[in-house]
Amino acid sequence: MNQLILAVLILMLGAGFCLLPIRNSTRAGIGLVSQAVATLVAWSVVIPVLLGGPDITGEMPWAYPIGDLHFRLDALGAFFLSWSLPMTFLGGVYAVGYMDKYFSTPRHLGVHFALLNMISVSFLLVYTGEHTVTFLFGWEIAALAAWLLVIWDYPNEKVRFAGFNYLVSTHIGLIFLVAAVMILYTRTHSWFLDDFGDWMSHNPGTLRNTVFLLLVTSFGLKSAFFPFHSWLPRAHAAAPAHVSALMSGVIHKAGLYALVRFILLLGKPDEWMGWFLIVFSVISALVGGLYTVGQRDLKRLLGYSSTENVGIAGIGFGIGCLGMNWDSPGLVALGFGGGLLHVLNHAFFKCQLFYAAGCVYQVKHVVDLERLGGLFKLMPITALCFIVGGIAISALPPFNGFASEFMIYSGLFTGESIGVWAKLTLGLVAAALAFVGAVSALSITRAFGVIFLGNLRDSSLPEGREASRWMLLPMGIHAVGTIVLGVVPVLGLAMVAGPTALLMRAMPNGVATVNLQSTMEIMTRIGLISGALVLSIGLVIWWRLKSQKAPQPMLNATWGCGYGAPTPRMQYTGASFSTDFAAHFKSIMVLIKRKKAPAGYFPDDSYVITDCVDSVERRLYSVISHGDETATDLSRKMQEDDPRLAFSAGLAALVVIAALVLLAEGVLP
Amino acid sequence: MNISLALIHWAIVLSMPILLVGLVNRTKSWWVGRKGPRLLQSAYDLWRLLGKRPVVSITASPLFRAGAYVVLICGLLAASMIPLLGQFAPLQFSHDFVVVAYTLGLARIVLMISAMDVGSPFEGMGAAREASFATFAEPALFLLIGTASAATGMTSFADLIGHLHNTPHYAIIVVPLTIALLILLQAEAARIPVDDPTTHLELTMIHEVMILDHSGPELAAMQYAAALKMTLYAGLIAALINPFNPLTDPVAGVLVSLALMLTVAIVVGCIESLSARLPMRWVPAYLLTASVAALGSMLVIGLGASGV
Repeated sequence: MNQLILAVLILMLGAGFCLLPIRNSTRAGIGLVSQAVATLVAWSVVIPVLLGGPDITGEMPWAYPIGDLHFRLDALGAFFLSWSLPMTFLGGVYAVGYMDKYFSTPRHLGVHFALLNMISVSFLLVYTGEHTVTFLFGWEIAALAAWLLVIWDYPNEKVRFAGFNYLVSTHIGLIFLVAAVMILYTRTHSWFLDDFGDWMSHNPGTLRNTVFLLLVTSFGLKSAFFPFHSWLPRAHAAAPAHVSALMSGVIHKAGLYALVRFILLLGKPDEWMGWFLIVFSVISALVGGLYTVGQRDLKRLLGYSSTENVGIAGIGFGIGCLGMNWDSPGLVALGFGGGLLHVLNHAFFKCQLFYAAGCVYQVKHVVDLERLGGLFKLMPITALCFIVGGIAISALPPFNGFASEFMIYSGLFTGESIGVWAKLTLGLVAAALAFVGAVSALSITRAFGVIFLGNLRDSSLPEGREASRWMLLPMGIHAVGTIVLGVVPVLGLAMVAGPTALLMRAMPNGVATVNLQSTMEIMTRIGLISGALVLSIGLVIWWRLKSQKAPQPMLNATWGCGYGAPTPRMQYTGASFSTDFAAHFKSIMVLIKRKKAPAGYFPDDSYVITDCVDSVERRLYSVISHGDETATDLSRKMQEDDPRLAFSAGLAALVVIAALVLLAEGVLP
Repeated sequence: MNISLALIHWAIVLSMPILLVGLVNRTKSWWVGRKGPRLLQSAYDLWRLLGKRPVVSITASPLFRAGAYVVLICGLLAASMIPLLGQFAPLQFSHDFVVVAYTLGLARIVLMISAMDVGSPFEGMGAAREASFATFAEPALFLLIGTASAATGMTSFADLIGHLHNTPHYAIIVVPLTIALLILLQAEAARIPVDDPTTHLELTMIHEVMILDHSGPELAAMQYAAALKMTLYAGLIAALINPFNPLTDPVAGVLVSLALMLTVAIVVGCIESLSARLPMRWVPAYLLTASVAALGSMLVIGLGASGV
């Protein structure tokens, strides 16, 4: 425990020193060093717990009304901490390269690094918090720090708006969380999560269901499940690349952590909870996947794919809940194991993709698909990292995304004896997952093909070359992780084995880890297949293309149907790539087209611009503005200074409050 | 025993792509009254291509040439897990069908990326069509597997297909499942009515347009991989219908499987001779028929188990 407190202190001190009036580069150095030291210190206790060591608990006396603070580091928290802290550090390293131009300006960079430290502090609080107040405190630190990181470029009005949008959304989520905590507090008169768990596992019923729904809403907002995702694409497009990466890959995984934590506390979940989670997640995966197709801003595209991927992890958790309800340890192992593994894998490849997007932005100053092209030749490392991440995010072998989706599929096509209708429904879910996989393959091909292949579309953009080493290094480390976890998935499985065993022990007739053993064997096989795939591809490519005997190709122009002088603007664009597909989903994806058709004998100025806007956000704003108008209208009609009206309204409010107090007997202590 | 079956499996995987393409072309020429090319013509074509020096677009990145070989390797890896002969595949473990589907998915994404790589509007168009049609075709395979999984309770591809013959509703569900697989074959192997392999107009192509800029050995790899994909689906159809279990009845099992695969090629050839390709905007609806057929068989299994 002392090491964790030490880590928090180091991070806070580092954050404090970052704010001193010294040079920007010194501030960044202090931030990075404190992050690295804190990570190592925390690892010294986190890794033993993750590998099956005993839980670490700690208490700290605190003043009334909070009382003693309890901390507990178990395998679940250790799993999340083990990669969240180093990834945040890598984000800081990337920031040095990305913020390069600010180092010599009067702009205070220390704040940025201090906020990254605070993000790490929030992980330590949330992932070990046993006391609701520290848990919520960490939750709120993460939200505020992320907001401040998003609005780095605050002079830009769009960025301020995106930040505000995020701030409001995350606090709406907090309201739901606090409501759930209030209900639990009134029942248990305790602040401790294990007391909540005690009550929930013994009192299934309407109140527990309400708590479950409130929690799912709150965590859904945190992790950007559909339809609570509308803040996400804006925030990700506005934030600096490493902040988007950390938010999507690391910070908002806290929502999924909390979801699993509360499922663990629930005891035996009801069957409907499992199905509800599955349906909720499938819708997220489907809609998130579909929205990636239409985006022309690369960072927005990656943002929507977060919604898709939390959905995929959520399907795993749903299967796990069903397994707990059906007393089927195999399903629990595959569901939660696959879901948690997907969370880890997603953190690896999503950060990598955002870092690649940041590299593109750094050299070209845009991430608009329709203006880029042909970047592979200018920045081959970035391009390779992007395509490795892209293949992983489409869940294709031989990279890590495939390993976790394979586990989730194994859960969906389970060999356990469950009802035939349940089996068929899970088959439908698998078909939906297959559709999502094909859709994300489409959008990754589109993004990679349009940005990195072919020729540059807009010659007015600055000359490009590979970004600085500060940016390539974190991206490269993530890429190596993506490949290693794909070829040796047993490594990832070993990391999730601890938390999965925790969930399996939570089952009424807590069973041993035999089921994990069989999963291990299958995953070894998957790893072998992926390895063989990588190896044979490498060998054949070397044999055919690189060895001395291979014939050297002749270079010539691309086949152009006999026309040899096309302009780069004639290449297939992102919009043309997605229009045919999007036309089938008009009701979900709103495509707005502005165009000016060519007219006359010598047409000069004509254009088509296609934009995919978020239908949830559109609807939300239309309702809000409508409500705004209604309120204005209402207040115009009412004479507010009429005392009769004011008094009667006051009286009505008092009656309602009194009635609530009287009806909710027992709620008040 | 299993080793000889595995050898037979690989012999079929490697030789059938040539034979099936030859048979489809022969069937088509028979319908129009021509003599038609030799049965092994595509083998000669591949051999000729292998000896040629490739021509590569100046726009292409290093990924371009590598892509063709990745596609071929993925096809061969998938072939080792597909039960062409019935209840047997050389590489067999639980949930291997997910690996099959996603390995073929990797082949597809690499093919599309190779197409985008030369910066040609035609090839981009082909890639967009391939990607969008794949999203409509992919769920059908998983629905089909879901049906078989619910009916048999097995988890590996070979067991699913093999044990399906002993389930009570086999006679009913075999029809929609075969139709679904045939539609998938037409989509994945780029045959009429989804795609026309002999069209000469770039704007109407799907698969052919994506490999317009490939030449020499790379083109050979791409063409062989495409024919291999047709073999895999033809083999699945054969395994679904073949009443003999190759593990207990190897000679009859293998012979019937071969005969069925050749029949599938003749059927594909007949469909190609007698119907025109569909308009592009109707293709998704056609592909969804496969999903609907698989859903229908799911319903049969569900209702059957509930005792209706």
